[in-house]
Amino acid sequence: MSATTLAWLALALPLAGAIVTALGFRFWRGRAAGYVGTAALFGSFACAIGAFFALQGEPAEGRQLVSALWDYAATAGLDAQLSILVDPLSILMLLVVTGVSALIHLYAVAYMGGDRGYTRFFSYLNFFVFSMVLLVLAGNFLVLIIGWAFVGAASYLLISFWYRRATATAAGIKAFVINVLGDVGLVLGAYFLFRGTGTLDFLTTFERAPEVFAENDGELVAGCILLLVGAFAKSAQVPLHTWLPDAMEGPTPVSALIHAATMVTAGVYLIARMHPLFELAPTAGTVGAIIGCATLLIAATTAMAQTDLKRVIAYSTMSQIGYMVMAVSAGAYVAGLFHLVTHAFFKALLFMAAGSVIAAMAGNQNMDRMGGFRRAMPFTFGCFVIGGLALAGVPPFSGFFSKDEILAYTAERGGIFLVLVLVGYVAAFLTAVYTFRMIFRTFLGEPVPEARELEQGHLHHPEHPTNPASGEIEDTEVGFPGPEHHVAEQSPTMKVAMGTLALLAIVGGFLQIPKVTHLLDDFLEPTFADSIYFEALSPSDAATFVGLGLGALIALAGIATAWLVWVREPGTPAKVRERLRPAYALFVNKWWFDELIGTVIVRPARWLGSFALTAFERLFVQGTLVGGTSGIVRAGSAAVRAAQSGFLRFYVALFLGGMVALTIWFLLQA
Amino acid sequence: MNGAAQGASVDWAALSPLLALAGGALVVLMVGLFPGRGVRDRVVPGLALLTLAVTAGLLVWQYDTSTDLLEGALRVDGLTVTLSFVFVVAGMATVVMTWRHLDPVESPGPELYTLLLSSIGGMVVLVAAQDLVTLFLGFELLSIPLYVLCAIQLRRRGSLESGLKYLVVGSVGSATLVYGFALIYGAAGTTGFAGIAEAISGDLSSDVLLLAGLALAIVGFAFKASVAPFHQWTPDVYEGAPTPITAFMATATKAAALGVLLRFLDVALLPAAEAWAPAVAVLAAVTIVVGNVGALGQSSLKRLLAWSGVAQAGYLLAGVVVGTSLGVQATVFYLAVYLLMNMAAFAVIAARERETNLGDSVDALAGLGTSRPWLAWPMTIAMLALAGFPLTAGFIGKFKLIEASVASGYTWVGLMIVIGSMISLAYYLKVIAAMWMREAPAGAAAVAATGPRPALAGASTEAQITAPTRHTRRGTGELTVMAVLFGAATLVVGIVPQPLLDFAAKAGEAFPGLF
Repeated sequence: MSATTLAWLALALPLAGAIVTALGFRFWRGRAAGYVGTAALFGSFACAIGAFFALQGEPAEGRQLVSALWDYAATAGLDAQLSILVDPLSILMLLVVTGVSALIHLYAVAYMGGDRGYTRFFSYLNFFVFSMVLLVLAGNFLVLIIGWAFVGAASYLLISFWYRRATATAAGIKAFVINVLGDVGLVLGAYFLFRGTGTLDFLTTFERAPEVFAENDGELVAGCILLLVGAFAKSAQVPLHTWLPDAMEGPTPVSALIHAATMVTAGVYLIARMHPLFELAPTAGTVGAIIGCATLLIAATTAMAQTDLKRVIAYSTMSQIGYMVMAVSAGAYVAGLFHLVTHAFFKALLFMAAGSVIAAMAGNQNMDRMGGFRRAMPFTFGCFVIGGLALAGVPPFSGFFSKDEILAYTAERGGIFLVLVLVGYVAAFLTAVYTFRMIFRTFLGEPVPEARELEQGHLHHPEHPTNPASGEIEDTEVGFPGPEHHVAEQSPTMKVAMGTLALLAIVGGFLQIPKVTHLLDDFLEPTFADSIYFEALSPSDAATFVGLGLGALIALAGIATAWLVWVREPGTPAKVRERLRPAYALFVNKWWFDELIGTVIVRPARWLGSFALTAFERLFVQGTLVGGTSGIVRAGSAAVRAAQSGFLRFYVALFLGGMVALTIWFLLQA
Repeated sequence: MNGAAQGASVDWAALSPLLALAGGALVVLMVGLFPGRGVRDRVVPGLALLTLAVTAGLLVWQYDTSTDLLEGALRVDGLTVTLSFVFVVAGMATVVMTWRHLDPVESPGPELYTLLLSSIGGMVVLVAAQDLVTLFLGFELLSIPLYVLCAIQLRRRGSLESGLKYLVVGSVGSATLVYGFALIYGAAGTTGFAGIAEAISGDLSSDVLLLAGLALAIVGFAFKASVAPFHQWTPDVYEGAPTPITAFMATATKAAALGVLLRFLDVALLPAAEAWAPAVAVLAAVTIVVGNVGALGQSSLKRLLAWSGVAQAGYLLAGVVVGTSLGVQATVFYLAVYLLMNMAAFAVIAARERETNLGDSVDALAGLGTSRPWLAWPMTIAMLALAGFPLTAGFIGKFKLIEASVASGYTWVGLMIVIGSMISLAYYLKVIAAMWMREAPAGAAAVAATGPRPALAGASTEAQITAPTRHTRRGTGELTVMAVLFGAATLVVGIVPQPLLDFAAKAGEAFPGLF
């Protein structure tokens, strides 16, 4: 089968899975829906692998295949097709998305086992993967926008999955609103580009863009920055990032899949996909790099002060995506995508391990209440440490190579980018600190009662499950932890999924060892062959090895610091907090972004809304427009019915009246 | 040179559909004279259906004909053929609905079918006519049987009232029309359409005699098409006439009236378009408003559909006004679609008339969604289609009409169609709401249970329930099938409109003078 056929199949299978699991909701017993959904994903992953080999079979210059299923509207000036673009970049994304999704589905089969919404969960999850695959395979802006919006919708459905939790629905709404803001940016950006190039198709757009737009052309820069707004909203970049920590209200497999490995990397993919445009509009690229850099620092500092286990990982996700956005905006495409791949492995792993711990805590996510799980959960501990080492960038784990490549290649751009790289190194230190803060606080120290209970071989079940965020009694009909919950130590499928990811998190970095292997470089070359940075950015040997050494040192220093502060001298954090009160307040309040958005946007909008409701809606719309028009129609109806008296003489009279009027009109023409 | 008068050469093949209808009408009348209920109940309707089927077959045979007949009196072309299909399908549906519908005591036997076939014949003549004389002949051949058909339920006062009203107002309409023709003939000196067009494009375009005749002729046609302010007979006649006849009038008569307007205005009078087009556009707008506001607040379904028919006539006029082949295509397409959606609705109304004592009241539909989904769905589709809901044929039809209006500079008429559709939702949705959101009234349930078994435990009312009602219960199987077929067709055309659009485009090709 050709690469495009296999790509279509990879797209169709998750959709089929979503439909089959949804329609069969009456018939599925036990974990059947989970296995159906997981099978669909493994099938999709197999198709993706097939598409990879089929694409590698093509000659290098022929590795950009477009396949259109049908024309939606193909009139003059518009070429809206349902088409996909199969090239190395989309295949890389396809492999990551379907592969990681398949493993997370496998994990969720057991993890969600006690949930009443089991079938619904897998239907949503399959639908999400379908949307994500549509997004990465899109061959034109129309399909991209559809996939983009579907992904946002699926994310909303899954964040609000436990819909009786007020906090979960609020988080879902927040995520959806910010994502729609991004959708608007994407649509407007696509419109700006379409206005210039007159086509929606990606490859044609890239072809025509240099002819239509001059370098840094105002419209092109505006279009690219609007695309960036879309990318920032999806990828949780400052200032559109506040939804991501709240999205941790969703079930943990959702956090692992959507809010770590796939959806949030869509922005990185978008910038990489649009690289010919960003290279024509370097201003937009610089904006992207600066925002990415700001995000990575803000998120890393915030993560230092948070106590919610999943939120710390969420902030670290933001921070890591900041690195990727910085890289692809600066032209270090392969480095950014390399980090995307390794991050998908180790971050999904971290979330899965965290999910296991949270299950052992019966749903509580607060690190202040955790501790000493090392002996109770050796497997989870091992996975968490592997993920943590990769995240912190300790050699030879995968994150070490990818983060180093980002910093080394971005530094090659010189100028302002050197400042950005410096910030990147500072944040790398913070990353190592907060990662091991998590590990030390959760797994070391005195075992908490829950850990002791688990050591006895029994999982803790609270008498009245409460919402960890608000403390209210949980509705176990739809709410986690439900009647049952599951930890990796007791579930083979979860172990398989986590073990595979742990392996990948260790060896994933060997794809691109500086000066040794360059598999990704070679694979992605056909996509980025037209790039001006692809060949030009190549650090010298000296710079490479200095960078590697510095990265390793910083990671180890960070871990050592964390060990000193949280294990050796447990009193230190309080002292530091005292000394650096303003900074601590800034970090623990997440840089007051929520408050800022509340004051600047939400409150004025609410005031405007209430004004519109009281004054405009009631007086003008309801009173004048609605009341007026329906009044006129009603009066007309009464008049017409009054004329319909039933008496022939009136009918004939009106007939003659009409006739006279018409005749007079015609005679006036004479 | 034998001195014998030589008759005009006749293209029998092209004339064959008309001959089949006329012959079939005679055969039905004669066969009906045989005694026996079997003949009356089975053979005669069967023969009527056969006649229509043969006619349809002949129309298929003549599908690509485009020729003048009988010295130019008639013309068989795309418009004639496509509209004849509409008449024939409407006729078939009417025969199916009539069968078992009328009270056996009053069953009029073969006359009904003879009249129906004659009326269809008149319609074919009407849309094929390109001479004032044949046109009027067709007009009367269509109208006179209809007067009788409306009054065919001899013992029901509503039916008689309907027939009489139709006859009186119809006579006024016919008189106006023939007077208008006389004036046009006086001005142009010829009755042929081609001659009239030629005379107008000469120096007659502002001739008083011609323009007055034009006005009167348009009034006559407008009456037949239920265009306001000549529409007032419509609700009364539709409500009183037997439901199958109402269905026939709503679909076939409308198609005939619009068809003749197309040929008369867009062929004979095209050179005078500047004079008539604005006037007809205003008529269309007035009709849309009057029809839609009139339909609000109606509780009789037949009356409601009558008013909606007035409004739809306004939409259809938009396609006539523009005088382009796109307009002709849009009009014919909408007429075909209109047949589908109306027949689905009328089949449901007829079925409920048989099943309940509530007649054609909206109440008869209450709770239909749960009790009779096979009737409720076609009715729902029909109402949505009439309102122009996307995914139904009505949407495509309206879309084409609006497209034709906008393309020819009549954007404001297109806007009127949109505004009219908005108002129309108020009454179409009311019908849907009655089916899906209201409980079936207790009375209807009692009637449905009428039979050997006592309906309810309340014994005091039992005597009334088991007493023979005036209506004997008759099956509704064929009506359900019909409703489902037409409802499904409405959906299919809404999703795959291309075949029917091609069909309608054939009518547009019949007017080479248009662009």
